[in-house]
Formats: sequence, C-alpha cells, structure tokens
Amino acid sequence: MKDVLLGLCFMVAGIVTIYVARQYPTMPSLQYGPSLFPSLIGGGFFLGGLVLAVSQVPTLRQHASEDRIAWSIDYQAILVALLPCVLIVFYILASDYLGTAISLATMMFVLMLVRRTPVVLALGVSVVASLIIYFIFSRYLLIPLPEGLLSVGG
Amino acid sequence: MDALLQGLQLVFNGQTLLVILAAAAFGIFVGAVPGLTATMAVALLVPITFYMDPTPAIAAIVTTSAMAIFAGDIPGTYLNIPGTPASAAYVGESSLLAKKGRARETLGTNLVCSVFGGLFGTVILVFVSPSLAEVALKFSSYEYFWLALLGLSSSIFISIGSKTKAFLSLMIGLLLSTVGLDMMSGAPRFTFGIPDLMAGINFIPVMIGMFALNEIMSFYGSRNEVRNPPSLSKDKVFGQVPVHVKKYWRNMLRGSSLGTLIGALPGAGADIAAWIAYAVGKSRSKDRAAYGTGHIEGIVDASSANNSGISGAWVPALVFGIPGDSITAIVIGVLYMKGMNPGPTIFMEGSGLVYSLFVVFFVANLIMLPIGYLAIKSSKVFILTPRKILMPIILCFCIVGAFSINNSITDVWIMLLVGIVAYILARCDFPMAPAILGLVLGTTLENSFMSSMLKSNGDLLSFFSRPISASLGALVILVWLSPLLVRLYQRYKAPHTNHTPRSS
Repeated sequence: MKDVLLGLCFMVAGIVTIYVARQYPTMPSLQYGPSLFPSLIGGGFFLGGLVLAVSQVPTLRQHASEDRIAWSIDYQAILVALLPCVLIVFYILASDYLGTAISLATMMFVLMLVRRTPVVLALGVSVVASLIIYFIFSRYLLIPLPEGLLSVGG
Repeated sequence: MDALLQGLQLVFNGQTLLVILAAAAFGIFVGAVPGLTATMAVALLVPITFYMDPTPAIAAIVTTSAMAIFAGDIPGTYLNIPGTPASAAYVGESSLLAKKGRARETLGTNLVCSVFGGLFGTVILVFVSPSLAEVALKFSSYEYFWLALLGLSSSIFISIGSKTKAFLSLMIGLLLSTVGLDMMSGAPRFTFGIPDLMAGINFIPVMIGMFALNEIMSFYGSRNEVRNPPSLSKDKVFGQVPVHVKKYWRNMLRGSSLGTLIGALPGAGADIAAWIAYAVGKSRSKDRAAYGTGHIEGIVDASSANNSGISGAWVPALVFGIPGDSITAIVIGVLYMKGMNPGPTIFMEGSGLVYSLFVVFFVANLIMLPIGYLAIKSSKVFILTPRKILMPIILCFCIVGAFSINNSITDVWIMLLVGIVAYILARCDFPMAPAILGLVLGTTLENSFMSSMLKSNGDLLSFFSRPISASLGALVILVWLSPLLVRLYQRYKAPHTNHTPRSS
C-alpha cells in the first residue's frame, strides 16, 4: 500500500514538474532550452511512479481477497521520529533571540529526556556539548552563529 | 620527483599528521557505534574540512572513511549489529566466531584484511589513474555526457532491490541538480523567488539531511536502544592472523581486486563490494558448507573488498569527476571547494597535491593497524556508548554544519526537508546512493549535453560521431539492455538445464 501511495505521489510530482518546466523560456538558437531536463525528469517521475504503483496492484488484490487488511502504523513512533525535525524548526525560529548555545542545549535536553536519560546527566551533557559546539564553530571556525541572550549577558 | 617530494612535505607535517590522527579516532568511533555510517561521518566532517588546507582536508576524509569501514566490524562481531552497512555481508560469520570465544582473532583478521584491501586499492589508484587521465584528456563534452550517463545508469542497475525505486531516487537527485540559474539561458529554475537558491542547492546540507538527519529520525522512530553488554573475549588479536593470511591469501587478493573494481563503478560502494566478494568467496570455497557457521574464510574476502572499494571509488572520481560511491560524491564537492578540480588535468599540473593525496591513502591505511589494534582492545567503550546521548549531539552538529557552509539558514531548511524526504523513502526501501549521484552528476550531464548541442547545432547523432564517444554510447545502451539480455540468457539456459541427465 505504501508503494502505491508513493507511486501516486511521484506521478503528481511529475505532472507538477512538467507544468512548471513548460513556463521556462526557450532559447532562440536551439530547440533545447532550460525546460528540457526538468521536463525529462518530470516524465521520469510520472513513469517511475506509474510502474511502482501498478507493480503493487497484485499484492493489493491479494490483500483485498483476505478478510481485512492489517494496518499496523505506529503513530507514536512516527511522532517521536518527527521530534528532531520539530526541534530544528524551533532552532530556526528561536536561535536569533535565544542564541545558538541556548537553543542547542534546549534541543539536546528535550531529546535526551524523550529517551529517558537521567535528568542531571541530560542537563550536564546538553550544556557542555552545546558550549563546545558553539565555541568550536563561532570562535575557532569563525562562523557568525547567533549569540542571542548570551550577547546581552556578556 | 620534485612534485613527489612536495607531496610528501604536504603530508608529513605536524598539522596534517595531527588531523590524520584525530580523523582516525573519529572514524573508529563513528564506525563502531551501530547506526552511524561512514558516509554520515564524512558528511559531518565536511563543514570542518571547509576551513582546512586541501591536503589535511582530504586526509581527514580519507582516514575517516577507511577507519569507519573497518570499525563497523567491531559491533558486528560482538553484537551481531553491523556498525556500517559495509560490514553487513559477513556479520553473521563474525558474530558466530565471537560466540566461540574468537572475537579478537576475528577482528584481528578483519583488521589485517582491511589494511591489505585498502593498500591494494591505493596501489591500483596510484598506477591506473595517471594512465587513465591521459586517455581522459582526449574527452570532450560528448564523452563526458556519456560518462555521466553511464555513471547514473550503473547506479540504478547495480543497486540492490527495486530498480524502479533506484530510478526514482536518481530522478530526485537530478531534480535537485536543476535548481538555480540555468547555465545556458540564465533563467532561474525551481528557485521560488528565494535568492539563496539562485546559485543552486549546495550538496552538503543535502548530504547531512540524507545521511545524518535520516538516521537520527530512524533512531527516534525505533524503540530498540537496550543492548545487552557482551562478554568480551580475551584471545590474542594477531595470534592466529599469520596462519589465516597464509591459508587465505588468495581470498585476500580476490576480494581486494573485486572490491577495487566494484568500488570504481559509480553507485556501488563498499557495502555492495562486500556482498559480492562474500558471495564469490563462498561459491569458490572448498569449505562451502562451513559458511554461515562462523567460518573465518567467510570474512576474509568481504573484509578486504570493502576497504579496497573505498580506494577504488577514487579512480573515476579523480580522473573523470564521476564519483564511485556516496563518499567520493562528497569528496568531489570538497575537491572543487579546495580548487583541486577533479579531472585529467589534476595529474598534469605537476603540483604535489595529487602525490600528497596518494601518500595520504598509504598513511591512512597503514595507521589503521595500530589504531585498529587499540580499538579492538577497547571495544567495550564503543559498543556500549549510549545512542540516546550521541544522537542529540549529532543533530546539533548537523544544524551548525549545514548553516556554516554559506552562513545561511536556507541551508538548514534544505537539510530539514531533504532529511524528511530521505526518511520516508528509506522506510520504503529506496536506495540513497542514486540520489546523491544524480545531484553530483546532474549538472555535468546537462551542461555537457547542452554544450554538445550548441557545437553541433542540435544534431543528436553527433554523440556517435567520435570513436570514444560512440563506444561509450554503445556501452550505455548495453547497460540499459542488460536486464533484457540477462532474461533472454536465462530463458535460453532454462530448457537446456531441464534436459541435462541426472547423475543420481
């Protein structure tokens, strides 16, 4: 079932890619322009998606003939898997105000607690690791990481 | 001779040697912790190498990848969990040997085979690359078009699993490569009005998202953190190695040759090299029945092959700019950043840089022996490092690393989006290597096609007008037809085998 859905997604992506590519300008001296490769890739998405979806039809039929399809989606696991992504968005939005070091420490602390790390250990590792990362990148490699609240304090 | 001395000087100085040592420790650590791959180690390393001189930067990558591939055997032996995918082929054999109390002997043999394989691949790299570069000097946009297409095609046909999924994975990489200003017309493509995308998508955030964030998400999506501490064996690391080397030297040679060859094929990395070498080793063995019961011969071929594959992958990467695996795909980007544009001219410039690269390969593989020995002795530290502490730290490195390439938050967004897509695709068994090759080779493919068309006024037959170009074109068509030919061959063979008289 996953493959059928993914196949359909790829087919839609292919149509969108071709539609967007058709709006690119053509070159006066040549019949091939900037739209050629994106259009070919869009075609590839569509055809590949079609093959992927169609190849799963026999499996789906087999499932349909059985009493019921066993759906086993672990929603809790998916939500926890998405937590790092949510925390990256948190970093993007909060780092300008909180600063890199505090944002990273918060992220690490939350992630460690989710996996049941003892609080004191999680806090200690988060603070030390975030400070090390911050100082390596900002002081040694001279990356302009946001200082945030630390600049106010210092 | 001057260039060689210059190359030696570039490697044998305090800074580079220190970088090699640090990278060795980092590679061993990442390789030995299950779930962290060699490609992930290299992707995380790139933001730091960005600020180094070319030689230490390349030295760090070469050393890390070689060490990580060997270190993947440590948890494979003790926990039956391969540290990197390259150890997966023979993890059954090595863990069964460990259960017999021969873990250190197994790891010692792995180490020697890895060193031998790495050095074998390096020798091939040193001798084959310059001669191949002389041929490559005659290449024009027509040949580069076919070469890029050959690389992309092999990445699909060599991949393990569904070819349709490999093809779609490749298309994603190719689509990402089209983002930015078109080289010919200057028209912006898929930039959505974001100025940071005008120069195209930087491959480093993509790599970090694809290989590091994807793994982090997989870790949080799974529930298996608890590991039982293994009972570590006390047998001698190198005690039985001379006996094994004497008995299985042919396997080492065969595994290393196969590994170098497979590594040099675009899309096939150390993991595929190890699987094929294991299968070939088993089919040629006199003790075939002993395979799968904890047989040392089973690890010799594959363990030599995965490390030689790492060196082999550098041959097309250096000579043509076509990566042999995901790691060299990253390396090509680093080489460009360091002004060492991969291609045949890199061998003709007469600078010490290429020699320094060769020397780095030898040094990295040789120091694997003492550092690997220490790692085997202190195995417990690596295999019991809790991932619940490591993964959050790695996530922070991912964010800061992606940001540091252009000091742009757009790169962090790219890493995030690519990571989510890679996670979904990886859960559905899509291979990642074709996507990386698509991203790296997409620009070469399109630019060489467009410039060939400009030169020939849009005549498609011009791709077959030059002898080398026509041969490469024929090779590509042969690769495309290979599934059909294999099926025809099997159909032809089937009736013949049915009629063969039975002996019993």
